[in-house]
Amino acid sequence: MKLIRDLFKDYRFAVAFGIVCLILLLAILSAFSPYDPRNAYQTPRGLPPSWQHPLGTTWLGQDVFWQLTFAVRNSLTIAIIASIISRLIAIIVGVLAGYKGGIVDRVLMSIGDSTLTLPIFVVLVLVSLVLRQWVRQLVNLGLLLAFFAWAWDARVIRSQVLSLREREFTFTSVLSGMGSFKLIFKQYLPFLLPVVFTTLINNMSWAIGMEMTLSYLGLGIDPSIPTLGTMIQMAIYRQAIFLGLWWWILSPIAASVLLFVALYWISLSLSEYLDPRARMQRIGGKQ
Amino acid sequence: MRRILIGLLVAIVITSVGFGQILPRGVPREKTLILPYLWGPGWAPGNWNIWAGWRNQNMGLHQFVTDALWTINPNVVEGGVINALAAEPPIYNEDFTQITIKLREGIYWSDGVPFTADDVVFTILTVRDTPGLQFQGWMQDVEDAYAVDDYTVVVKLKKPNTRFHVAFLERWHALRPMPKHIFEKVDNVSEFDFHPPVSLGPYVYADHDPAGYWVLWRLREDWGRTVTGKLFGKPTPEYVLFINYGPAEKEILAMLKHELDVVQGTSEQLITLLKRGAPYTRSYRKDYPYSDPRDISVRGGAFNHLVYPYNIKDVRWALALAIDIVEYSMMAYEGMAAMSFAFPLVVNDVFYEWYFKPLLPWLENLTLDLGNGQTFKPWDPEAPWRVAELAKKMGYKLGIDLKDEKTVRLTFGYGWWKYAPNVAETLLKKHGFYRGPDGMWRLPGGTKWNIKMPCAPDPTSMDYIFPAAVAEQWKKFGISVELFPSPMAGHFASYGEFDVHGTGHGEFVGEPLGLHPDLYRCFNPLHSKFVRPVGESTLGWRGRWSDPRMDQIIEEMELVPWDDEQRIIELGLEGLKIEIEEMIGVPLLNTPILIVFDNYYWTNWPSPENDYARCDNFTTWPQLKYILHHLKPTGRK
Amino acid sequence: MRFVKRHLIPRLLQYFLVTFLGLTMAFVLPRLMPADPVEQLITQMQAVGAGISPEHREEMMRTLRQLYGLEGTLWQQYVIFWKKLLSVDFGPSLFQYPVPVSKIIGQSLPWTLGLLFTTTAISWILGNLIGGLAGYFHYKKWPKLLDGAAMLLRPIPYYIVAMLVLIFLAYVFPIFPLAGGIGIGVRVAFNLEAIKSLLRHAALPALTLVIVGWVVNFQAMKLIVQTVRSEDYVSYAQFAGVKDGIIAFRYVIRNAMLPQLTQLGLSFGQIFAGALITEMVFAYPGIGWILYQAVLRADYNLIMGILCISIIAITTSILVLDLVYPLFDPRVRYR
Repeated sequence: MKLIRDLFKDYRFAVAFGIVCLILLLAILSAFSPYDPRNAYQTPRGLPPSWQHPLGTTWLGQDVFWQLTFAVRNSLTIAIIASIISRLIAIIVGVLAGYKGGIVDRVLMSIGDSTLTLPIFVVLVLVSLVLRQWVRQLVNLGLLLAFFAWAWDARVIRSQVLSLREREFTFTSVLSGMGSFKLIFKQYLPFLLPVVFTTLINNMSWAIGMEMTLSYLGLGIDPSIPTLGTMIQMAIYRQAIFLGLWWWILSPIAASVLLFVALYWISLSLSEYLDPRARMQRIGGKQ
Repeated sequence: MRRILIGLLVAIVITSVGFGQILPRGVPREKTLILPYLWGPGWAPGNWNIWAGWRNQNMGLHQFVTDALWTINPNVVEGGVINALAAEPPIYNEDFTQITIKLREGIYWSDGVPFTADDVVFTILTVRDTPGLQFQGWMQDVEDAYAVDDYTVVVKLKKPNTRFHVAFLERWHALRPMPKHIFEKVDNVSEFDFHPPVSLGPYVYADHDPAGYWVLWRLREDWGRTVTGKLFGKPTPEYVLFINYGPAEKEILAMLKHELDVVQGTSEQLITLLKRGAPYTRSYRKDYPYSDPRDISVRGGAFNHLVYPYNIKDVRWALALAIDIVEYSMMAYEGMAAMSFAFPLVVNDVFYEWYFKPLLPWLENLTLDLGNGQTFKPWDPEAPWRVAELAKKMGYKLGIDLKDEKTVRLTFGYGWWKYAPNVAETLLKKHGFYRGPDGMWRLPGGTKWNIKMPCAPDPTSMDYIFPAAVAEQWKKFGISVELFPSPMAGHFASYGEFDVHGTGHGEFVGEPLGLHPDLYRCFNPLHSKFVRPVGESTLGWRGRWSDPRMDQIIEEMELVPWDDEQRIIELGLEGLKIEIEEMIGVPLLNTPILIVFDNYYWTNWPSPENDYARCDNFTTWPQLKYILHHLKPTGRK
Repeated sequence: MRFVKRHLIPRLLQYFLVTFLGLTMAFVLPRLMPADPVEQLITQMQAVGAGISPEHREEMMRTLRQLYGLEGTLWQQYVIFWKKLLSVDFGPSLFQYPVPVSKIIGQSLPWTLGLLFTTTAISWILGNLIGGLAGYFHYKKWPKLLDGAAMLLRPIPYYIVAMLVLIFLAYVFPIFPLAGGIGIGVRVAFNLEAIKSLLRHAALPALTLVIVGWVVNFQAMKLIVQTVRSEDYVSYAQFAGVKDGIIAFRYVIRNAMLPQLTQLGLSFGQIFAGALITEMVFAYPGIGWILYQAVLRADYNLIMGILCISIIAITTSILVLDLVYPLFDPRVRYR
């Protein structure tokens, strides 16, 4: 509890937490939507925001607000699955490779490098062709994206671990009999966490961006399923900007900006809180 | 560091302000017509060998470099076939094993060599004997070809064929004469790049983009020695540029900057351009429905007849009756399209006379048997007026006289089937379908009815919009529809891995010649000998429908001479009746031509008062060369 | 010598292994696709109206297969693939037959390399520099503002950024051209006009790529520097009176640069797959669009050609990075 209270003292965390709550609320609201998100032409089209339609309607006759609730829910699902799974893999692989070194290191890095060498959408096209039905669900897309996202960060983590390994406190801990596992967990992790959190944020926005790119190329999920990416895509294709339907395109963009800012601030404040050095910084004064 | 960057930016800005023009020096904008290069960037840019069949042709290649023996009239009000390089229609002998083709005299290739019968003979024999060339299969029928004199060709066939010459009849594609004096020196025709190309049409190659985004053409000095010059006169623009700007928004920006004279695209593009580009932009019509609906192709959904339950006629009719065509037309294209109820029945003046009017009494009597003594007449002649009414309600200002029946039918369509979901329910229940507790339809076995529809991935393409809007209609009716956009949609279609497939381009079944009554080309793919089971690539229509009555009509048509229009129309009507009654697919709309013209540099574009051509001739059709003499420069620099 | 035996040789072996695996995957993967190039070609021809009548379809497909050399077992084709690879001959492109793959790559790759090398380098340098400074002086106002701007910019999809830049700088203020890599009619050469035209056309794509790339680098670097800054040796240097600027550059940023180097190496390697959306939006020639079309058309030869180059580039850059890394970070020793 003290942890939470301390965190709230940081204004960034407080604001971000609020935003995340708001977004989660939106996602939960989707269960109460009066409109089926996959159907079009249910309302008069192209209406600006009003009491009946808080964020207006799209050119396809859908209520932007309720679409957004689904979009947020779906995008979060994909992003969370993709980034959490890839973080886990990245940490495990990176730490193992960096700490153990030798053959373990080489093998793990080779596997990782192989996933990096193939241009992502080539494999995605192939997967989407061979496993057509499978790829079209949100969860599976998240898994697929996770497969591509761990290698890079595993390397980053590995290089961090490499330099941490040579530090004095490592020798000290080993000499005083601390087991490897405990060493990694208690000593290294706080140093690794900032990197992990940065990359988590990277990853979530990468996942959302990737999902949008894939939809644009016709390789992603069913476009009638609203996600932040497909909403923006539909708006662009139907010339929302030129037709003057700014609410249609701004809503998903604003939502994704808010989401990102919130996550970023949370990660920042959390990592600062946990990083022993940064904590000293905060307490000790400006410099 | 910052100062250096700012300095660089300023330098670029200053130097580029002077370079507002996109055209190279020496090519004046007011003398250049800039057209969109649809489906670009091109494959194998710099390769003009149209005979080795697999490259984009519509960036000037088939408009200007080649000319055809016969071609369809771009003027759809007049209709008919124009004798282009040929001086008259083909002369067949009594048993159709020999054709005599008389060529037009005084035509020259752009390098000064005269066009003669030798070119045609060389083309026929080379295509016949070189593997991999596009019309090779068709030319296998040729036993021999020779020139009787400089302007007469005789072709001997191995077996009787009343329609051999259709290979040379240019609709969008055709076998066109290749320059013998160039190709005879080539070792391997399929690998020859024919660069720079020698034109038979009125424009010659000036420049092209190695990345394939644009091609520039220049008017030939000896334009009088081409078919265009002889039949129509001097084309007005001195230069023509085909350019691909990228996504739809870029095209809008380009036209608003007057760097693009014609845009053909989606209804949103049309509305945007008409609103923001005023007063220079206009479409075919000044007022709603703006567009020119008379493309010679009908689109809709094709049922997979080898998959349950689409092999049941009543189910197909039920699916058709569950569609509200008025709402559909508005959803997909803002109502700016013409509805059609049969696949090769395109909406234009000549088909109206040849096929629609004779069909009308039969349509009015067409009756469906609903079981237990009930019948239903599905034909709805009022549907086009309902589209107009809906548009008026939505605030559009109509520019046509709703009392003129022919105009309304040629603008909004011939008519369609009634929107009768209750009848659809009855038909489905007759076969054991039922609605589950959630209101969604179930198959007789108890599983939820799910229609799988693959379609093109690009949401601005017709091959996406058509199926997507149909999916909405069926979803409203209570069927679960799964739209599946994928680049492999064509593959699924050909292997039969679908329930309903949007009929896109190249589906001959819905693409007649349009200006000549012959429907053989549309019926032939429906012959039973071409059908292959699901899982194999089929040779004929993807829907895999066949019927012995249709086979008979097809075989009869093969024996009817090309100029016996009366018999052709009779057989065509019989075939149409079978297709319509069986509801082989759901024909929906005539392909809409949502076109916008920019009057800033050029004017005198087609309009209902000045109806000299179907509007999409300005974008991808080869008949462009025959209408360029109508354009007038505005004089703006 | 010990280094060579214990580290260099195993590393090189690893490099060759990964490259070999990658190239084999490049051979196998396109062939796993359900559609084959001849099939796709016929479909594409029909899609643009150049249809083939049903009678002639089978014959056409057979002759095309012969022409493309798609006969023979998978193993035979694999062997031929390696032979050709070693003589840098990828064969003719299938969807742009008969243009050889090396010609297509040779035409479009320079555009991609030119654009992406410069923008990757610029956004890396700018991002890390400014990010480093912002991280060091993170208590001041300007880094906070920049951080805020970067944060807001980050989630906006690249496509939107590109469109906005385009509308603003090519339409509202018509300074830059709408499309193309170089002006119409201007030949690529070393004269002033060509260079000006190249720069004008590359300006907008480059600008959008730098904006998007800068944001990522900036944020990452700032975070790292903020952490490093709290190290003891920094405080020591400050107490010792070393100027802030020197501390920032010589001590902090240099050390913080290390993980960023890894990223740079990888970025450079991935350039060879092109920037597809950039090319689509700006109608800019490049290898990304070619690769995409090749995949859609199941053009085995072209896919393999591009993938091979891409794979070799990436594995090589990773190798170089691994070998060079100890030079930057003396603390790292290989076990």
